[in-house]
Amino acid sequence: MKILIVEDEKNLALEMTEFFRKEGYSIENAWKKSSAEDKIAENTYDFILLDLGLPGGDGFELLHQLKKLKGREDAVIILTARGDVEDRIKGLEAGADDYLPKPFSLTELLARMHAIIRRKHNLKMNEVNVHGFILDIRNHEVSFNQQRLSLTAKEFEIFNYLVLNKNRVISRINLTEHVWGDILEINADSNYVDVHVKNLRKKLSVFAPNEWFETVRSIGYRINVGG
Amino acid sequence: MKLQLKLAFYNTLTKVVIITIMAGLILVSINRISVHHIQQRLLHKKSKLISNLSSMEINDLLTQQGTFTDYNLLKEEYIILKRGPAHLIKPKQYFRQGNRTIEGSDEEYQILIAEFTYKGKNYLLELGETTSTLGQLEHTISMYTFFILLASIILTSVTDLAFTGFLLAPFYKIIDQKLNKVNDPISFNYEGIKTTTEDFRILDQSISSLMKKMADMFSREKEFIANVSHELLTPITILSTRLENLLNDEKLSAAGETKIFACLKTLTRLKSIINSLLLISKVENNQYDKLHTISVKEVVDEVYEEMEDRLVTMDLKFTIDLQEDHAFKGNRYLFHTLLMNIVNNAIKYNRHSGSVSINGNHANGQFMLTVRDSGQGMLLNQVKNAFQRFEKFQSKKEDSYGLGLSIAQSIASFHHLELDIQSEKGKGTQVNIIFPK
Repeated sequence: MKILIVEDEKNLALEMTEFFRKEGYSIENAWKKSSAEDKIAENTYDFILLDLGLPGGDGFELLHQLKKLKGREDAVIILTARGDVEDRIKGLEAGADDYLPKPFSLTELLARMHAIIRRKHNLKMNEVNVHGFILDIRNHEVSFNQQRLSLTAKEFEIFNYLVLNKNRVISRINLTEHVWGDILEINADSNYVDVHVKNLRKKLSVFAPNEWFETVRSIGYRINVGG
Repeated sequence: MKLQLKLAFYNTLTKVVIITIMAGLILVSINRISVHHIQQRLLHKKSKLISNLSSMEINDLLTQQGTFTDYNLLKEEYIILKRGPAHLIKPKQYFRQGNRTIEGSDEEYQILIAEFTYKGKNYLLELGETTSTLGQLEHTISMYTFFILLASIILTSVTDLAFTGFLLAPFYKIIDQKLNKVNDPISFNYEGIKTTTEDFRILDQSISSLMKKMADMFSREKEFIANVSHELLTPITILSTRLENLLNDEKLSAAGETKIFACLKTLTRLKSIINSLLLISKVENNQYDKLHTISVKEVVDEVYEEMEDRLVTMDLKFTIDLQEDHAFKGNRYLFHTLLMNIVNNAIKYNRHSGSVSINGNHANGQFMLTVRDSGQGMLLNQVKNAFQRFEKFQSKKEDSYGLGLSIAQSIASFHHLELDIQSEKGKGTQVNIIFPK
């Protein structure tokens, strides 16, 4: 998987690079608009992570240029500190696949990328097996030995997000933000998520033991998948 | 009272006073002049009479002593001659005003009384001339003055009103177009209002330059907001991604992990506060459009859907009573945020198994949306400060930043909505959103 990070803030770009390298992705960096243009013209990428405010020009221009190229399927995620609703709409209309306002968490970014991959490549990746539980991501369903579990939309989203970020502690606040979206301080109260996790666990435990679904101290949750 | 009316009223009043004073002066001076003229005439007659006197005439006059010796047909004048005192050292001569009855008709006269000596004998002469004609003259003048006064008041009031109206038209136009109809300095019309009055031109120019300054400040604020967004949010992103990478380190101790998560939580809090403040600033800086036709009912249903699980968690009874929908022009995203904040408070500060209700109704031509909860309620001074930024008396929880109601307030005033909070400690809170007519 090849990713181009177009971000002028080097510190941020390097952190993102480190994170995705560990995930096993191959990363290229562009610090300004002109070098990004060159890279896009020469190579194709699975993902282009695009900052809007770039030295030498606006990220939107870059997006328009990319969309003019024929036969390209590079997925674009706009990452910006300009959190306007208008910008979000403008970006999606210009052909971006997703839009993530800064500050974002890398785990959230990873989840969004997975969602795009699934959307683009209509593969078997739509089914994930976690300790015998099959997540059908396309239909938002979970089953165990062909038996469907009746999960609410939020319970499924929590399960899915934790599975995507398997073996990693996901804080309650991170989980809340992912499931409920970022609506200012309304979601600062992360207690609600506990209730959903509790219900989810209860539903899973009917079918199989779920000691792999771990509560990490007062921080959050982790789904452990061996190997 | 309008300036135009005040000016007209003042003009009329001064005219009435001036004409009244003038009329009074004229009346007094006419009276004095006339009396003076009469006296001059009487003196002239006296000297003419005395110079033409003969013994026969004196006897003729004296025979009718005690009565009015001589008078003309209309009793306008009379002469009385009497014998004077035996010794006359210095002849007296003076005027007086008095009533005389001649043949049954009583009239007021200006009277000259003079003593003189004729052929060794002393006489007392009384000459009178009526002043009743003078009274008539005064009466006529008063009447005329009154009618002139009345006519001029009516006439000048009308013309004053018309003229001041014409004169002040540019002024009212400036007030209307440059102040009343201006919602934000960005869309201000800098074209001058046509006027030949220097003062109005200066007023117009002053308002325009003031608006220009405000527009500059507005755009500077907009720039500042954009800078703040970028310059604050980017470092937070760097920090949070760096911390996330640290978490990937397998050698990390449990204590280290806990601390890093605490840091991430603080960063989330920082991000949330910055975003809230940015939202308020953007709303107050008019950076949102109001192009959507918003159905209150739709937004209420949406908010309910989003909040449903929280209601279930708290075991709250939730009722929506929206008999009639209300549609208005505004920003859907902002109105949604406004309602989310209010409903969220109603849930957050509720008691377990309490209730939240949303009612909408039309009263006095205005639509009012009411969110009522059975929660903790607030004291009166808490209600007063509820819209203050960072006010969080209701909650000792660290997850409240006290910006929810400030956001609600700024969104409400952006839409010209009125927010009214009624609360009773221990019973619950009611928030009314009152829509403009």
